[in-house]
Amino acid sequence: MKIVVNGKPAGTKETGCAICGATWGEYYAEVDGEKLFFCCDICAAEFINMINEVKKRAGWERVDEIEINGNYYAGRTCVAKHEGKEFKFYIRFGDEGEITTFKVLS
Amino acid sequence: MPICPACRYRARSWRDIAIHLYDFANIKSEARHVMWLNRNLSYKSLDLEILSFRLEEFFSMPEGLASWIRKRFIERFYGDKPHPFIIAMQNPTRGVLLGYVLEHQHFLKNWVQVLSSIVFRTDKDDVINYELENIAVEYIGYKGMPSHYELLIRMGESLGLSREKILSTPPLPSTLSSIKKWKRIAETRDWIETMAAMHSLELVADRTLTKYGAKMHYFNPEILNSDKYPKEVKDFLREGYEADVGHAGEALRLVEKYGKDKAEDIQVTVLESFDAFAKYLTARLERGLEFEPELIKVIGQ
Repeated sequence: MKIVVNGKPAGTKETGCAICGATWGEYYAEVDGEKLFFCCDICAAEFINMINEVKKRAGWERVDEIEINGNYYAGRTCVAKHEGKEFKFYIRFGDEGEITTFKVLS
Repeated sequence: MPICPACRYRARSWRDIAIHLYDFANIKSEARHVMWLNRNLSYKSLDLEILSFRLEEFFSMPEGLASWIRKRFIERFYGDKPHPFIIAMQNPTRGVLLGYVLEHQHFLKNWVQVLSSIVFRTDKDDVINYELENIAVEYIGYKGMPSHYELLIRMGESLGLSREKILSTPPLPSTLSSIKKWKRIAETRDWIETMAAMHSLELVADRTLTKYGAKMHYFNPEILNSDKYPKEVKDFLREGYEADVGHAGEALRLVEKYGKDKAEDIQVTVLESFDAFAKYLTARLERGLEFEPELIKVIGQ
């Protein structure tokens, strides 16, 4: 999965956490068969919940690419891509990484 | 005495705190420690020497505690990237103002509940008098003037929402989460920490912040003389604008007076309160989306 956080590639220890871009920590989680780097377990929970929600709402089997813009307090505006199709949304998370707001954007 | 800003572990030096933070963030990936570093020092991991230096510098208070609080508040909310709600308030639309009304009613109720806990727990007469006056201004009404709470509801009515609708709307999850954070501070921390955590937030409407480096005011002051807004909107904004200058300044003076022996504890608690406030301000915009979907562009800035 190609991941871009605030304009920069992310998802490895070198590039940063797959959802916030931080390079602190050493936490890995598998998403759609791919091992991704996260700075902590909360960020991993947020990312996994987000990808599952996108797949459910868009009816996709997987997400090929995701662009994430924003941060923990302002929420994140995202574009997910799969086989040439796009799905835009705004998302916010609670303290344990659960989704508290999910709005599909046109 | 230096303390860990994430878990309150105490040590003799900031270098020892840096070693502790480095261990918990970089080796253990512990979320609270990582998040604190991300939000306050750097998204990029730092080596121990640089982390130690940056940490000590971050908490140093060459001009005292009140100045430190003001400086950190400006950085967080009025710095190079001001909070999206403050940007929206430079030219607020109906959606922005209704989002403000619907979420802020809950903030204000919690505000006076938390201030009451300070009154209950302090033995300082000037603090009791200060807090009781603030409670009156915010929630009861003071010197013949309606309370800020009442002015807020009237602003909502002037924009087309009934009082019943306003009062029966529950808070969004982000507002509730922030309220819980402030309640937890009131329940578990010393009264002086609670006082600093709450009243530092009143800096948001302090007009003097631009003298200290803020890029803009809380809202464009021309609104107060504009024909574009109902009188009730201007009445509400004017009250906060005029009152909070004195409120925050006097409260920070009291925090400085009584908080000298707990400065590091106060700093850490104030930062927690800033996190909750940033989240809460976004909730006002998020509520505004219900009236104005295009506000998403403001949130996503």
